[in-house]
Parts: sequence; C-alpha cells; structure tokens
Amino acid sequence: MESGEVAMKKFDLELAVGLFIIAGIVCLGYLSIKLGKLEIVGERGYEIYGVFSNIGGLKVGSSVEIAGVSVGRVKSITLNNYQAHVVLNFPKGLKIQEDAIASVKTKGLVGEKYIEISPGGSENNIQPGARIRETQSAVDLEELISKFVFGKI
Amino acid sequence: MNLAYFRRGLVLLLLIFGIALPGWAGEPTDEIKQTTDKILSILTNPSLKGSSKTAEREKLIRQAIDERFDWEEMSRRSLARYWDQRTDGEKKEFVRLYSDLLERTYMDKVEGYSGEKVTYEGESIDNGYAVVKVKIVTKKNTDIRVHYRLKRVENKWLVYDVSIEGVSLVNNYRIQFNNIILKSSYENLVKRLRDRVELK
Repeated sequence: MESGEVAMKKFDLELAVGLFIIAGIVCLGYLSIKLGKLEIVGERGYEIYGVFSNIGGLKVGSSVEIAGVSVGRVKSITLNNYQAHVVLNFPKGLKIQEDAIASVKTKGLVGEKYIEISPGGSENNIQPGARIRETQSAVDLEELISKFVFGKI
Repeated sequence: MNLAYFRRGLVLLLLIFGIALPGWAGEPTDEIKQTTDKILSILTNPSLKGSSKTAEREKLIRQAIDERFDWEEMSRRSLARYWDQRTDGEKKEFVRLYSDLLERTYMDKVEGYSGEKVTYEGESIDNGYAVVKVKIVTKKNTDIRVHYRLKRVENKWLVYDVSIEGVSLVNNYRIQFNNIILKSSYENLVKRLRDRVELK
C-alpha cells in the first residue's frame, strides 16, 4: 500500500469516528432537551398571572394542571408587595374562564407543588397578560391540624 | 380672644376625631360588617332565644344572608361548565336548591355562635371585585381566617365566595358537582341536592 492510501484509510476512520461522535452528541442533546422539558422552539402560547399569599415552594417550571392533565408551566415567580406574583404559560388554544380558580396543590401529601386550575362557568375568558382573580394559596396542613387540635398559646 | 381660639381648636379636634374614629374601612368591609352585626344581633336577641323560636330565628338569619350573598353568581361559579347548558327553569331550581343546601349545612355553625370575636383585617378592591379579610377568634383562642369575595352589583357589594383558612367554598362544591355530573348526570345531582335539602 502507498502512504497516500494509508492516510486516506486513516482519514476515513477519523471521519467516521467524528461523525459518530457528532451523532452521539446530537442524540444526547435531544434526550436532555426532551427529558429536561426545555422549550427550545420558543414560548408559544400565552401568559396570564395570579397573585398568591403563599405558594409554599412552587418553582419556576412547575406544572399547571387541569383535570390532572399537565397543560402549562409556571413561567416566572416574583415577590410583589410581599405576595407571590406567578406567571403561567398556556398553549394558545386553551381558554381559561374569568371565574376559573387557580390553587396551589401538592403531589401526594408532601410532594412537589403544582398549580391546579378548576374551570369556571363564565362566558368571558382571561385575556393574555391579564390576571386570574380567584386564587387559593398553598394550604399548610400542619398549621391547620395544629390549630384545630391544640389551639394556640 | 383666647377663649375663641380655644373653642375653635376644640371644634377642629372634635372634627378630626369624629372622622378618624369610625376607622378607615371601605365599603365592602362596611357591608360585610352590617350583615355580620345584623346576624349577631339576631343570635343575641333575648326575645328570640330558645328552641321554640328556632324557626323564626333561622328565617331572620336566612333573610340577612340573602341580602348579602349573590346565590345566582355562586351557583354559576359552582356549576361552572354546566351552568350555560341549563334552561332558565333549571337555573332557578338549582339556585334555590344550592342556597338551601348551604343554609342546611352551615346554619348549625351560625347558631353555635357563643361570643367569638370577629375582627376585620383589611380589604382590597380591584375593578368591581373586592376581598374582605375577617378573623374569628374561637374560645380555644385559635384564629380562623375567613375571606369574603365580593362583586359590585348595582349599588351593593354581594358575596360570591367565602374561603375559610384558604379553602374556597365555591371550589369545594365545583369539584364535587363536576364529579357527580361526570359520573352520573345533572339530573342525579339535582336529586341528591333535593334529598339533602328536604331531609327533615
């Protein structure tokens, strides 16, 4: 064999390895995006916000559910006038009625927090950027139990 | 000369106190207060005490609550998605049954009042909607937070939801009504309400 041919074979091998690695990285990237639920394609849909006196550990990225189905995400949480200002992201076609109630709930009894939307009966829907008026903050179960079992000093 | 000034100063002082004393509560709080005071006066009225007067007492309490609660709005919010599909007759029937159910469920609690202190912790108003925060101090010295949600209807503030310790009444019944209607039917829900209400 000539050195040229050997070099060619080596180049082919390196090319193959390189392509294989790139393919591997792309697959890894796809997997992490899918699993991490990142929205690379940009935030389609619309946003509305709610004000809660206590969100009990709700996080950005926590899910928003209707009938137990995850339909949206918590986009941002800020403290506004000592209350939690929570922005929710919903897909475009999903209408939320004006009298829908947004509650902070817990997965199980001590699991992660999420937002449950209970649909209302109003003919009007909440416009993008507008506020969900009816909100229920996280219920602190321990506090509630102790209040009604033991009273207060 | 001195006396004139003194008198003017006194009048001014009295005016300031006269305005400041009633407290800086807004309309929604005032209206909740009115209804609460009315009910408390019925409960503490000596001429209405005793089991022989129960029917009369409860009728008066129900009247006071009827003036402050918007039963139709509460029914709409509790039936939620199912409200629109109802005929006018069905809506009227539902409003009546629902308000009777609530009366039957909570009248005992109202009648069980024994001197608990009610304080008004503040209110917030936003475009025709208001939240009035109330605290009830029980005999065991626990604080119970009650939030009234009101809507301005004509020239009055009417209640459309009550949350006790952060749990909303409308949401509570909305979820239950939804489950019953999905599992069986609206007619079955009405039957269940009727059974509960007409139970003597």
